[in-house]
Amino acid sequence: MENTSFGRRTLITGSLAAAALVPLASCATGGSTGTSSASAGASSADNPFGMAASGTVDAVIFNGGYKTDYVDFAGTQLTKKFSGVTVKVSPSTQIAQELQPRFVGGNPPDIVDNSGAGAIGMSTIVDQLEDLTSVLAVNSYEGKKLSDTVYEAAIKSAGTYNGKLAAVNYAMTIYAYWYSAWLFSANGWTPPKTWAEALDLGAKAKAKNKYLMLFGKEAATYYLTTLIASAIMEGGNDVRLSLENLKPDCYSQQAVVDSFKGLEAIIKAGYMKPGGSGTQFTAAQAQWSNTQDALLYPSGGWIENEMKSQTKADFQLTGCNEFTVTSSPKMPAGSLHATAGEPFVVPSKGANMAGGKEVLRAMLSNAAATNFAKTRLALTVVKDTVPADGFGSTALVSQSKLLAAAGNNTFSWQFIDYYGINKANLVVMNSFLEGQMSADDARKGLQAIVDKVANDSSVKKLQVS
Amino acid sequence: MSAAFGGASGPTPWPVTSLPRAPKHRAGRWRRNLTFDKISLFVVFLGLPLALYITFVVSPLIQAVSYSFTDWSGFTPDFKPVGFANYVKILGDDTFQKAMYNNALLAVVVPLIIIVLSLALATMVTVGGAGTGQIRGIKGAGFYRVISFFPYAVPAIAIGIMWNLIFDPSSGLVNGILTGLGFSSFHLFPWLGNIHTAMPTMMFVIVWGFVGFYMVLFIAAIKGIPAEIFEAARIDGAGRLRTALSITLPLIRENVQTAYIYLGIMAIDAFVYAQALNPQGGPNNSTLTMSQELLTTAFQKGEFGVACAMGVIMGLMTVLFAALVFTVNRGTGGRDRITLA
Repeated sequence: MENTSFGRRTLITGSLAAAALVPLASCATGGSTGTSSASAGASSADNPFGMAASGTVDAVIFNGGYKTDYVDFAGTQLTKKFSGVTVKVSPSTQIAQELQPRFVGGNPPDIVDNSGAGAIGMSTIVDQLEDLTSVLAVNSYEGKKLSDTVYEAAIKSAGTYNGKLAAVNYAMTIYAYWYSAWLFSANGWTPPKTWAEALDLGAKAKAKNKYLMLFGKEAATYYLTTLIASAIMEGGNDVRLSLENLKPDCYSQQAVVDSFKGLEAIIKAGYMKPGGSGTQFTAAQAQWSNTQDALLYPSGGWIENEMKSQTKADFQLTGCNEFTVTSSPKMPAGSLHATAGEPFVVPSKGANMAGGKEVLRAMLSNAAATNFAKTRLALTVVKDTVPADGFGSTALVSQSKLLAAAGNNTFSWQFIDYYGINKANLVVMNSFLEGQMSADDARKGLQAIVDKVANDSSVKKLQVS
Repeated sequence: MSAAFGGASGPTPWPVTSLPRAPKHRAGRWRRNLTFDKISLFVVFLGLPLALYITFVVSPLIQAVSYSFTDWSGFTPDFKPVGFANYVKILGDDTFQKAMYNNALLAVVVPLIIIVLSLALATMVTVGGAGTGQIRGIKGAGFYRVISFFPYAVPAIAIGIMWNLIFDPSSGLVNGILTGLGFSSFHLFPWLGNIHTAMPTMMFVIVWGFVGFYMVLFIAAIKGIPAEIFEAARIDGAGRLRTALSITLPLIRENVQTAYIYLGIMAIDAFVYAQALNPQGGPNNSTLTMSQELLTTAFQKGEFGVACAMGVIMGLMTVLFAALVFTVNRGTGGRDRITLA
């Protein structure tokens, strides 16, 4: 090795080179501030947002369980009405990574389906989004006022951030325990209503060499969802508020403690299939839907679509409500954890921002909503789009039934998605479900995650009441 | 030319009164030498790579360092400088500390295992053959060379996805073979979900992917050593292990050093393997790497300034590792230059 001395000359040359490159330091945030919104035409009853008569609408849509063709359908509906406008749909699985440069550069898309594991945290961009109350105030393509034809309460509760309706969530997601009606009727089983009943069912399942439940490592927090739902049904709205506002004792509330104990008993009895913490989640779900190693699986209504190609024939997918702790919970019977999912946002700086709102209007109209329900076998936030036979889907029928039984008693929570703590929760839940952590330690671990956010002054908190 | 000496056109009187002067228009001579060939050479082989290097390597590095001192969210053009607050935040964060520890563990263990294994294989393939006759490798050495390179030809993400399935607790090959052999305790055993086996499993996958490439690298290095040296050692009675440790290893010292540094750089990153095998960080974050934490912080939490600080720390760790390797190499006799001619 040659001797390289680091002399004065090297130092000076190096410093000069470094100094010459300093102006490059802020390149990432530079760039044009983007063109202002396309010259808005005059607004009329037919064109309430003043969209330009010709042009394209740039739509970036999350390509997940619901695919993206329902937006294409809405786009063709829009083009039928406004012949000069086309909707360009770009599917994406990593919304945050793809759109970060566009948001910084000031030229975001016109409408975004901000969903999936790679979604942008709402708190990060909420100031750059349009208030979509203006969209609900106009008429649909069928001539009825939009706010009358949709589940307005669900939309408002899922998409309001600090007083602004920043997102219109499109899919009505029901959370339930899913099972095979065929398997249950063949064995004379009934879906359980409380954790204790679930434990009994687990014993019966064991006799038939099946597990009661299973999980996959990326979806271990599906069980956290059922635990929180169970606690809220048992303890009422106060339980929800304590969690949403990140209180230091939110995971120590009695209802929460009891729910965790209920699941712990199932795990301790060996009714939760082991190995889930090393299994990829769709592979685990296939073990439930195809080989039927387990009876129940907690998920949202997207499960039918997601596992369509891996479900045993004549499975008869049906949903039952999540368990309560006792048989006399605080919330009325039939209360359902349901929320509007698939948040659609319209960035204020989009080149054709009016077009983005128009696409939303097209999607919320009856034609597009019925198409979604028919092709995705899932509910939208638009009322009365599903016939009684559920387009032949047992899961859709049971979703409608659960929603009808719930009436106005649907509830949900935002704090996990808003603060982006799902990833940290996964670590705790994987250990808990694998039997490596007690219920008390799991609650402590989850509380620590919440406390970290609560004590972090750089994070803007959501005030929930 | 003789006019320059100021003498007559006859033979020059001795001694010469003035030294020959350098041609006046030096720049002119230099400019005359600038042919199209030379200019295009500079531009294509020097200018273009330099421009690419500055744009895609140096500039982002500088930007990352400067953004690490701000509170940039990554999704708006505005930001404020916050000094060292980001560094204080991440160095005190227990998740990031765990990630740093995991990367340090990887950097210590993985290069060592890969180098030892690939050196062993390389010596066997080149000089580990019969103890008599010509110096050659073991029987079938050519075949081993070819197949051991295959894992490196597979993209890292494909390796990760593949091994994820092979280690699947219910339907994976590993558990299937082990339970088939009678080890019933491995029924439904989560290799990637058990806190004691998750990290060793990931290390195994990384080692599997790289041994072939470094074996080929060391084979090339060992082939550069003249066979007479090995014959002389053999005559002096050196066995295979002795030859490997005292003859082969010192003579390919620089190759080992380079390989060590490359592997250290890979281990301090290790993003593809960690993300493919355990995207949520592993049981109790036991396989979480700094690069995964960086991605989460940047895109899920919208804190680009903090993420840049993490990146700077990763860079510093890499530089520290390289310096350590150089020092160890110097310290163990690398200072002496060995010539083989």
